[in-house]
Amino acid sequence: MENIKLKLARVEKGLSQQELADLCEVTRQTIGLVEKGKYNPTLNLCIKIATVLDLTLNDLFWDENKR
Amino acid sequence: MKTKDKKPFLNMDERNKQVAYRIMAIMYLLTIFAMQAVVIYRQFVLGQELGDFEDIAIIMTVNSLFLISALLYFGAIPIRKLKIKSILLIYLLLVTLGSLFTYAKYNIFAGPNLSFSQLFEKLIAVYAVSGIIMLFFILFSILGKRKMEKELE
Repeated sequence: MENIKLKLARVEKGLSQQELADLCEVTRQTIGLVEKGKYNPTLNLCIKIATVLDLTLNDLFWDENKR
Repeated sequence: MKTKDKKPFLNMDERNKQVAYRIMAIMYLLTIFAMQAVVIYRQFVLGQELGDFEDIAIIMTVNSLFLISALLYFGAIPIRKLKIKSILLIYLLLVTLGSLFTYAKYNIFAGPNLSFSQLFEKLIAVYAVSGIIMLFFILFSILGKRKMEKELE
């Protein structure tokens, strides 16, 4: 399932996929696939992304509708 | 003091590595299957002696042995407790498969047929090798468990 929250957070922060990828030390493709919901990132990467975007894991990866 | 940034190997991130590992595992399995097919083809179609393809057979045996041992040691195969019953069952399975293969090899595919005593001698080797393989696996399971317990301490 597509991760709209991540995409919105990245755009709000004014970052491109490449910029976010560089800050998280991964490739642009990885960020793209995480946003598309086609790759499940490790907890380490989730924490890196959340730290770079100044958000919590809940803000980015928790889906209230799935509870 | 300036420290040099440690660059990841080939600039791979976690996803690249995951994909690479998956492909390597599949290619490894395909290689092992291909080697097995080569051994069967040489033995039963070309009718070659064991000495003609012994190198391939040894590589495959050692490879499979170390693969399973490594899986046990690094905790890829979940074992809660080593039970005598399970060990005996696996040993019996190995012995049965080995015996069937040995019987088929000498009395079905290759002639002349071996007498019961000759076949029994071959089967004793199968029982011994199966036992050694089991001991090898048990040893690595115990070492792996100890390693894991140490890490959890």
